[in-house]
Amino acid sequence: MTFRTILSFLLVLMLVFGAVSIAQEAAPMDAEAAAADANMLATVAGESRDQFRSLDGEVQDLKKEVLDLNRDLFLLEEELLFPANSQVAFFISMDVGEYFALDSVSLKIDGKEVANYLYTDREIDALLQGGVHRVHMANLKTGDHELIAIFTGKGPHTREYRRGATVTINKGIGAKYLELEITDRVKKQQPEFVIKEWE
Amino acid sequence: MKIRKLLAGLALTVLATSSLAASDLAGQPAPDFALKSSTGENLRLSEYRGDVVMINFWATWCGPCRQEMPLLDQLYSRYQRVGFSLLGVNIDDDSGRAMDMIRELGVSFPVLFDSRKVVSKLYDVDAMPVTVLVDREGNVRHIHKGYKPGYEEMYLDQIRSLLRE
Repeated sequence: MTFRTILSFLLVLMLVFGAVSIAQEAAPMDAEAAAADANMLATVAGESRDQFRSLDGEVQDLKKEVLDLNRDLFLLEEELLFPANSQVAFFISMDVGEYFALDSVSLKIDGKEVANYLYTDREIDALLQGGVHRVHMANLKTGDHELIAIFTGKGPHTREYRRGATVTINKGIGAKYLELEITDRVKKQQPEFVIKEWE
Repeated sequence: MKIRKLLAGLALTVLATSSLAASDLAGQPAPDFALKSSTGENLRLSEYRGDVVMINFWATWCGPCRQEMPLLDQLYSRYQRVGFSLLGVNIDDDSGRAMDMIRELGVSFPVLFDSRKVVSKLYDVDAMPVTVLVDREGNVRHIHKGYKPGYEEMYLDQIRSLLRE
């Protein structure tokens, strides 16, 4: 072998090794670039998810605010129409209902009819299950007022039954709440109407 | 001449106001009420929420009401099982006469008695009969004053449209 041949062989070997090393360097670079792209996409996706979450959160907060505002407006309206210092509220409740099937309630304050409510079967069921019905709300001046509550329904032996209860309300400063309770008096087998004042 | 014009203007205003009052209810929540029915139980409009409800105001002295009621009964029988309710509201002072007429006509829908005219005032009933259609959400959608043969076709279309909503 001549010197020239050996030199040419060596040159070819060097070229081959050089190409291999360049290729090896290029591969990681492509992988890095791909990894970088993937990272960027993941970051963008993550940011979008975060943005959606924050938007969703904001929407939920807004909804809650609207509901709170609606509730506050309702309470303010009630306060305006029925200020606490002159407010009087009347509630109906029922206990047992064996001797009296309620049909309607009529309320008169100082001789003037202020409420006349007919009860449906569904409403009576609700009362029997412990529900309390706000039958009337009024504004009354301080002083004495006469309340007459007339209950109409079916009494013992399914006879038509009409019973009244009268009470004098002493209206002071501050709201007043009166409960008109219908209870069954087992001893007399008659319904009893009790007017109670809530403290 | 001036007085005539003034009177004409007043008459027009009254008519416009009364028609406005009736049309005011359209699109508004139907005023709630409870009345005693012909079967003895109390019925409340709001308990029918979810159904398409027709409220028909009638009286025993009203001839078109007699014509209309059997046709309304047919509508009731046909569509009751798919969410249609019909409440007849009688405004006679004497509910006994209304009961007689109900038996005579053989209607099956609930009839309520408004002898004190409280509900008819709520609905601004100024003609006979008056038919009000309330949608499932409880809003007044159609109001018809009076009855002429053929109106039942219009009712049918409107009921079907509301049932489809």
